[in-house]
Order: sequence, then structure tokens, then C-alpha cells
Amino acid sequence: MVLALARTWSGYRTAVRLGWLVSSNWTSPVPFVIYTIIRPISGALILVVMYNVITGGRGNTRNYLAFLVIGVSFWAFVTEGVSDFAVGILEDRGRFKMLKYAYLAPLRFPVFLVGRASSKLTSAVASVAIVLVVATVGLRLPINPLSVDYPLLAIACLLAFISVMAFSIALSVVLLAGRDAYGYGEIMAQVLYIVSGAIFPISVLPGPLAFFASLSPLVYWLELTRRSILHGRVYEMFPGLSDGEVLTRLALATAGTVLLGYLVYRWADRQARWKGYIDMDAAQ
Amino acid sequence: MKSSPSEFEIFWRTVLARAYPRVVGLSRNLSWLFFDFAFPLVGTFAMVFVYQGLHAPRQYLGFVVMGGGMLAFWQNVLWTMGTQFSWDRGNGTLELMAVSPTSFEAVLLGMAGGAMIMTTLRAVAIIVLGSLLFKVTYNLGGLPPAIGVFLLTLAALYGLGMLLASLFLYYSREAWHLGDAIQEPVNFLSGLYFPVHALGAYVGGAASLIPVTLGLDAMRQFLLPGTPRFLDPALETVIVALEIPLFAILAVSSLRFMEVRARREGKLISKWS
Amino acid sequence: MPRTPNPSSDASRLAVETRDLGRVYKTRNETVTALSSVDLKVREGELFGVLGPNGAGKTTLIKILVTLLLPSSGTAKVDGLDVVREFRQLRSRIAIVSGGENAGYGLLRVREQLWMFSQFYGIKSKVAYARIDELLERLGLASVANRQISGLSSGMRQKMNLVRGLMTDPRVLFLDEPTVALDVGAARDLREEVSRWMAEDPTRTVILTTHYMQEADDLCDRIAIVNRGRIVIEGTPQSLKLEVQRDVVVDLQLEPGVPVLDRLREVAGVGAASVREEDGLDRFSLLLADDAVLTNVISAVERSGRRVAGLAKREPTLEDAFVKLVGRSMTEEETQ
Ligand SMILES: Nc1ncnc2c1ncn2[C@@H]1O[C@H](COP(=O)(O)OP(=O)(O)O)[C@@H](O)[C@H]1O
Ligand SMILES: [Mg+2]
Repeated sequence: MVLALARTWSGYRTAVRLGWLVSSNWTSPVPFVIYTIIRPISGALILVVMYNVITGGRGNTRNYLAFLVIGVSFWAFVTEGVSDFAVGILEDRGRFKMLKYAYLAPLRFPVFLVGRASSKLTSAVASVAIVLVVATVGLRLPINPLSVDYPLLAIACLLAFISVMAFSIALSVVLLAGRDAYGYGEIMAQVLYIVSGAIFPISVLPGPLAFFASLSPLVYWLELTRRSILHGRVYEMFPGLSDGEVLTRLALATAGTVLLGYLVYRWADRQARWKGYIDMDAAQ
Repeated sequence: MKSSPSEFEIFWRTVLARAYPRVVGLSRNLSWLFFDFAFPLVGTFAMVFVYQGLHAPRQYLGFVVMGGGMLAFWQNVLWTMGTQFSWDRGNGTLELMAVSPTSFEAVLLGMAGGAMIMTTLRAVAIIVLGSLLFKVTYNLGGLPPAIGVFLLTLAALYGLGMLLASLFLYYSREAWHLGDAIQEPVNFLSGLYFPVHALGAYVGGAASLIPVTLGLDAMRQFLLPGTPRFLDPALETVIVALEIPLFAILAVSSLRFMEVRARREGKLISKWS
Repeated sequence: MPRTPNPSSDASRLAVETRDLGRVYKTRNETVTALSSVDLKVREGELFGVLGPNGAGKTTLIKILVTLLLPSSGTAKVDGLDVVREFRQLRSRIAIVSGGENAGYGLLRVREQLWMFSQFYGIKSKVAYARIDELLERLGLASVANRQISGLSSGMRQKMNLVRGLMTDPRVLFLDEPTVALDVGAARDLREEVSRWMAEDPTRTVILTTHYMQEADDLCDRIAIVNRGRIVIEGTPQSLKLEVQRDVVVDLQLEPGVPVLDRLREVAGVGAASVREEDGLDRFSLLLADDAVLTNVISAVERSGRRVAGLAKREPTLEDAFVKLVGRSMTEEETQ
């Protein structure tokens, strides 16, 4: 038992390191700068200009600007976790031909996947911090690190972390079935982007989509990150709900996501083994 | 001795042959279809919703929808021309292209041309769907000049794509990072989601080096009444036209240069480095 | 059986000529000399073998000759054209097929894929299809001509690759370990097609690299043995075997036990020794100066406590020559 645990732990560590090596390109700060700074900041800039064009940056609309900035910065969790992670798994298969070894290794495949995912999410935290700091200074957002509700933020992020991981692990195994599945991970992240209230309140969405969005844990997570950082000075999607109520919804939605993710994983894993997707050559 | 084919014959045959797998790929791999349509569509809609969240005037939805159409071409250039070389290198296809008497220019043109069918369908789908769903109205009188500017923009853009691809000839993983690095900044600078006027004279002026920037702005001015004027659309058209030879020359010399470098350093033969 | 070079070919024309050719790879943390001072002359019409263990520099040599890689020093000409300066003209006259090649687009059918590559040479489609169909037929691939290449076995895939190399009718065809990892049948088909293609036109030249001794012996008119980037010896398979003609070649089989290879090499009169494992026995090939040495060998074995399972004298092979010249067998890992 202890032995098995130790083996799992060392396997987990290997996978974290592997993920770090592969995704950080074992060389330089260049990829880090690209993925954690340039991309998210450019994305934020697009939104800031759109905001400015429409509102002219008037004071009474600034809580909407804060809404955008916090949403887009925390979104790094999801892009790293969902799209980059799923692509990473496919890269392992296609480019590095090592997925089958990970799969055959004594280390259990899920542990490998969770390890990879953790390394992704670590770099997401860095990205969030950088974008928030830049925005606070550059856009003079009233973010004060001393008045952030850190416990609330931490709990919300932990739950979101769990759902993102469940979602992306299931997704990556499903994507193994796709011949040219590169890009699907990104699409999924994009779809989530729309239905998670990252850059606009979900009430803007057409009716059925808005309902679907209200089932996603990410909506409540983002709402809580905004509240914990800028309580009262940020646009809120659920002004009628207390922090506790939003947190409850987040917990429920996370549980649902994990369950769903597990079922999908089981199914897709069986498919993958059955059809030999693990070592498939994805030549175009 | 048999007569050997002329360089021109090799060129156009290569263009057609390299476009071929792209074209038959459409019918043999339907999953691509989903990918190709879904991605820009979803991205574009996200931005439309942002404007709706901001209660923007209706014409802004038009800006986004047109930007989404252009995004399809920009992505085609960046990812199907640029990164395809990196793929081809990985499985040895690039090596076989390099030992044959054809040129990389022809190969790239074929790649882009083959993908063009799909990209055009995609752009049309975005514009038609977006316009219907969000009720965008156009000034159809501006259609002929808009199409003219569009074609010029495309020519310049493909020169840029070839220039990027030349980097993929030499770099592989680093080049993917380069692609990832410039994608979002270009989306921002070229004003895909807002009129470039909003960037001001200096940033906008610098951004004009990207062919999409002025091309898209001119098309918006022709088609969407009320587009804030960055430059006179005629002047924008002229600048885009001048960018065609600029990028073509840069691309061809960069391809030559990179090929020699790649031969010297063994980059044509090594697989994933 | 080795082909005799066709008498009608113009032996004074050189298909390949290298002078003092060298290549150094520089990577971030090391510098590897993959080739040094290679002087090679291959006559038009020859089937020339380059034989050497993994890492000897065979692929490097080929990639330089097909213009994919620039040499670090020296010069090389193929079909009279300089590979560095006249590479554009040269490219339409050569073709390369490598073992384990995976090029192309998986969703294309065999025939389409070959056609695509033929277009890179500017061949008219009708002509190209006629040649492709003929070659596919000859290699027994006609039935899979319309199958997507992602569904081919490795043997079929490699035959398709050979068709690709032949269809453009190159003056010089480069084959870089073309039969590596293929089953016996597919490898034989490939070799037969290469021989047949050579016989069809006496001015065609093939440069073949391999680390299969038998392949080189069977197929090649002349062979160069390369080791660590240098040509060790060059000649016909016959003349290379002469190197070991006066030696006594002994096959010695031992039951498993402590390693004795180094000990055997130290016995006076043992010219070379190599070992491979088969059916649970260690099979040694020994090159002895004369019969008398055998006694010393046997006593060395007995002192190490290993049991002899079999012993036989035999005719020397190319493999024996290789071991003598290079100091180790083709498959033995180099110990440094
Ligand atoms: N692209 C490269 N970069 C660095 N070293 C290389 C490269 N290609 C080959 N080498 C090294 O050069 C030597 C010769 O390799 P190669 O020509 O592939 O030998 P062979 O084909 O005989 O197995 C080897 O030591 C190999 O590791
Ligand atoms: Mg080799």
C-alpha cells in the first residue's frame, strides 16, 4: 500500500516534470513570455480597446472594465488547463511518440495526466498574477492586494482547478480518438470562454445558451474571483446571490463536472485501448 | 536524351500537386470541416457578445463580423502555410520536397491555394451567419471596391505567410512559439475586432505594416457606413498594393537564405529537433 | 550473386566523386565529426555499397550527396555536378529512398501520393501515371494502388517509397538502408527490383548504404566500409574477403557463462573475434592466424570455466572481413 502510494507519487512527480520540460521547451524564458505574458495581455488589450471605443472610458463604467480584466486574466487557468493540456497530450503522441510509454509504464495513466495538468496550472497562476499586476498599474484599476479576500479566492480557485482538470483529462482522452484533433482543445476552451462569463455576462447570451452556461462551474468561479478581488467595485453577474450561495453553486457544479468527466474518461479510455489510439500516427 | 521540363512547368505542377491533398482532404476528413468552421465562428461570436454586453451600437457588430471573416484568412496564412512546413519536416516530406527540383515557393503557394477553398468557405460562413444572426446591414454599393481591396490584401497577406514559412524551414518548435506569439498581438494590432482608428495614429500607423490592418479598414469603410476613418480608403488601398511586392521580395529572399542555412546546419534532415 | 558491371557502360565517367569530404555537426553541447577525409569514386553503372555500423556516417554522406546537407570541408560531385554550387541542376537527376521513411500525407492514396511527388519534378501527369502503374505492378502493389497510405504495412510502404525513387528515372539513385526493419520477403523484393532496374540501363548508378552484410555482398559491385566517419577499405566483395583469405575462420559455440570475448581477443594469433547470441548459446566468430592457435583458444575458454557446445571451421565471409578491419562486429555496441 505504502509502496504503491510512493510509486504513484514518484510517477506524479515525473509527469509534472515531463509536462514542464515539454511545454516549457527545456530552454529559455521565451515560451514563458509568450504564453503567460504576450498572449493574455494582447487578449486583454483587445478587450480594453473595445471597451474604450464604446464607453469612452467614463468613470461610471469602470466596474465593467474590471469585470473584463479579471475575467480575461483568470481565463489563463482554462486555456492552460484545457487547450494547451489536451494539445500537450497529442504532442506526446505525435511528435514525441512517448505517450505509449507513459501508458505502458507502471505509473497509472490518470496519474500521468494529472501530473501533466498540474504543471500547466502552475504556469497559469503566474500568468494571472502578471496580467493583474499590469492591468492594475496600466489601467489604474482599484485592486489592492491587501484587501483581497484570499480564503474565498483560494477555495474558488481550488474548486475550479478540480473541474478544469476533470474536464481536460476527459477531453484529452476523447481527443486521442481524433485523427487530427489538434485544435479541438482550443475550440473547447473557446466555447467555455463564451459560456463562462469570462468577458461578458452570461445574460447577454441567447436563452438556451444562458441556461447551459448557468450549469458551468466556471461562471461561479469567475464571479467569486471578481468578488474576492474587488468586492462591490466590479460588475456582478449574480447581484442577487450572496458569496455563500455562489460558492454552493460552484461546489455543486464542480461535483457534477467531476462525475461527468469520470464517466467520459472511462468510456473514452476503453475506446482508446480498443481501437489502438494511443500510439496512432497522426500524420496529415 | 529526354527533354527536361521547364522551371515554369515544374512550378505550376507543384502548385497543383501540393494543393491536391488539401482539397481531397476536405472530403476524406470531415472532422476538419468541423474544426475549420467552429473555431473562427466561436471566436467571432465571443467578441460580438462583448459588444452586446457593452450595449454597443449595431454597426460594431458589423466590424466584428467582417473582422471574423478576415481572421479566417490570417489564421490560414499563419497556421496552414507556416506550421505545415514544420509538420512536413517532422515526417520527412520536406526533405523530399527539398531534393526535388521544385521550389519552396511553389510548394507554399500550393499549400495555401489548396487551403484557400476551405478558408473562403469559412469566411463566407462567418460573414453570412454573423450578419444574419446579428442583423448587420451593408452598403452593397461598396462591394466592388471592397472585393478589389480584399484581393490585394490577400496577395500581400500570402507574401507575409511565405515569409513566416521560411522561418519554419529552419526553426521548428521555436517557430511554433513564434506563431503563437504573434497571433494575438496581430489580432489586436490589425483591428480585427474594432476599427483601427481606435489605436490612434502611431500604433495604427505601425500596425499598417500588417496587410490585414489597412485592407480590412478600407473594406469596412466601403461596406459599413459610419466606420471611423483612419485613412482615406483609396490611400489605404494603395499602401496595401505596395505591400504586395514588399512581402513577396522579403519572402523569396528569406526562403533562399533559410534554405542555405538549413542545409548548412542539417536542419532539413533532422526530424524534431 | 554479384552483378558484373556492365561492359558497355562508360567506366571513365564518374557518377560520384568526393575529395577530402568532411562534415562536423555542432550542437549546443558537443561537436561530432560525422565524416572526415572521405575520398570516393563511383563509376557510372556501378551499384556501390556503403557498409558500416550505426553512427558510422553513412546517412551523413548520402545527405551531402543529395544536396540536403552542406559539407564542412572538401568537395563532392554527383553526375558531374558540384553538390554545393550546382545543386539546382543536380536535383532533377537524383532520387533518395531511406529506410523507415514516413513522408507524405496519410489520407492520400498510394497512386495519388506518388503522382504528387512526380509533379515536383514537373513530369506530365499522363507519363507519371503510366510509370507509376507499371512500377506498382512490378512490385506487386497494383492491388493497393487505391488504398490510403496510412493503411499500408511497412513492407508495402517501403515498396511504394522505392517506386517514388524510380519513377523520376534518376541518373543516380541513393538508397539509405532501404531494407532496414523489413521482413525477409519484402527486403528480397526490393533488392530484386533494384537489380532489375540497374540491369535495364547500364548507365544507371545506385549508392546503397546498409548495415546488412549479406545485402552488400549479394547486391553490390563494390563496397566501401566506413567506420567513425572514415573509409576503412574499399573494393569488390571478393577482394574484401581476400583480406581474410589466409586466416582460419572458426565458429565457436559456448553455453552461457562469464564474458570471455575480451579474453579471446588477447590470445596470441587471434586476429579478430565477435559474438552474437542465438538460441541461448553465445556464438563466437574467430579469425585465427593458423590452426595451431585453436588449442590456445580452447584452453582459454576452459580456464574461464565455460563449456564448449560446438566448434566448426568455415569459409570466410564479408562479415569476417568487416570484423577484422573494423575491430568489432556490425551489431556490437561500441565501447569507449
Ligand atoms: N543532425 C545531427 N546533429 C548532430 N549530430 C548528428 C546529426 N546527424 C547525425 N549526427 C551524428 O553523426 C554521426 C553519424 O551519423 P549518421 O550519418 O546518421 O550515421 P549512420 O547513418 O551511419 O548511422 C553519429 O554520431 C550521429 O550521432
Ligand atoms: Mg543512417
